[in-house]
Amino acid sequence: MSIASAALACAIVYFLVTRVDMLLSWQCLTRPIVVAPLIGLALGDFTTGVIMGASLEATFMGISAIGGAVAADATTGSIIAVAYAIVAGGGATTESITTGLALAMTIGTLMAPINSLLQPVWLLLVPYWEKLAGQAEPKKFFWQNMVVYFITGLPSAVILYIAVAAGVTGLEAFIAACPAWVMTGFGAAGGMMTAVGFGILLSMIWDTKICVFYFVGFICAKSLGLSSLGIAVIGAAIALTIFFLKKDIVDAKNSVSTAASTSGPANSEEDFF
Amino acid sequence: MAKKNTLTAAENSMLKKMFWLSHLVFVNFTMAKMEANAFTMSMSPAIEAIYGDDKEAKGAAYVRHNAFFNTHAVALSFIVGIAAAMEKDVAAGKIPGSTVDAIKASLMGPTAGMFDSIFFNCLRVIAAGIAIGLCQTGNPLGILVFILLYGVTQSIMKWILIKLGYSMGLSFIDTVFSSGLIAHATQCASILGLMMVGAMTATTVNVPLNWTITINGAVTEILPLFDAIYPGILSLGIVLLMMFLIKKKGAKPLTLILGLLIFGIVGAFFGIF
Repeated sequence: MSIASAALACAIVYFLVTRVDMLLSWQCLTRPIVVAPLIGLALGDFTTGVIMGASLEATFMGISAIGGAVAADATTGSIIAVAYAIVAGGGATTESITTGLALAMTIGTLMAPINSLLQPVWLLLVPYWEKLAGQAEPKKFFWQNMVVYFITGLPSAVILYIAVAAGVTGLEAFIAACPAWVMTGFGAAGGMMTAVGFGILLSMIWDTKICVFYFVGFICAKSLGLSSLGIAVIGAAIALTIFFLKKDIVDAKNSVSTAASTSGPANSEEDFF
Repeated sequence: MAKKNTLTAAENSMLKKMFWLSHLVFVNFTMAKMEANAFTMSMSPAIEAIYGDDKEAKGAAYVRHNAFFNTHAVALSFIVGIAAAMEKDVAAGKIPGSTVDAIKASLMGPTAGMFDSIFFNCLRVIAAGIAIGLCQTGNPLGILVFILLYGVTQSIMKWILIKLGYSMGLSFIDTVFSSGLIAHATQCASILGLMMVGAMTATTVNVPLNWTITINGAVTEILPLFDAIYPGILSLGIVLLMMFLIKKKGAKPLTLILGLLIFGIVGAFFGIF
């Protein structure tokens, strides 16, 4: 496959995935574990996409848009990494996959500011939307939103096309020119990079009362060799047990403090889950 | 709370339309008003049903709901349900429109925090953990598992919550947020999240130390010395270091990514990787 047609395929997948995912608001289809196999499929090597998707998802696990600036663009970083592995250097060899994975985070970090450059442009439309809302024509409001929405997705797709077309060849030249230890360093950094994402995740959920479960999960996987589904079931058992114990305590407290009240306050939780 | 108000057929079909529209959370997202357009579109079936032909009142309501709004995508459906229930009271002249704005504004923060911790930090991590385990071996079913567990679940919760929000209105918030169970639910979700991050630290974080020191002609490898303490302790250490830098030192993810990259390349130059 020529690099130009590969880049076109990547740009089309990228455009469709980002647009459809936003219509669903799942923030799910743009994750590396979905995007990488799709790119693999488009470039004719599905299995490489699936396997790279697993590693890329782990690398970008904690690096996501959760308010504020995004440190690295997981979607474009993954696409370029997979495209490199499949298209460059004689196809999906172990070596090109390793290189693609090692460079994914660096590429994602470089791409993040480029993609957010366009954000301020859409601000110009804000007064228009408010005026349109005031006209009280929901169908018109909906369809104009849809049209503008699909148009605003185009520039990023064009940027991605250029990035793949120029990037993959550029990467090949760069890698060929580098001494061996540079790539060893990228590989080592790639292996450690996952730690940044996990560090971000942990910093959000870390709590001295429950932090021991982090180590329990580690030991379950490392020493007991349990699969992640097995660990999820054990974790769910522990979490549910503790939740229902606490719920009983809250219920007991509420029934003491509001003994006269007729409303049953905590039952709504059951509907909730 | 156990007896829900039964919805009429007309209300049910209205909620169904609102449910589909409330997926458009990130359509025409801007930094100025964030999810305002999505809220306006989601509210349109309710506004049309409540105000009928009164174009002026409809326009006012649309403009009101085109105000700044930002929360988790699933929480948006819930708040849309509540706002639709309140809009009926606004039309009947029981409460001023500004009350709806105030309730919306007061719900953004707490719901964003709560839904982020349940969906983003817990469910997403579990789904990715299971999916990575499957995809690592080249099994494409992992992709499907991820989409079902993380994506489709969000839509199911959206439907449940938009109905709950509409039929219970504000009474629901009083019970849930005052009972104190939300904090417990969040903590239990975090237990599960911590275990999955622990498991993934074991399987995906890799510190490929290749460092040997020679003392009096005896070659000593450094990595086995660390692994003798506990297998994979370096992976654990680097994740905890990242968390410490983020949580205690306020380090930016970008700084950490670049730092690790430089550490990897410099380390490789001196032959420790």
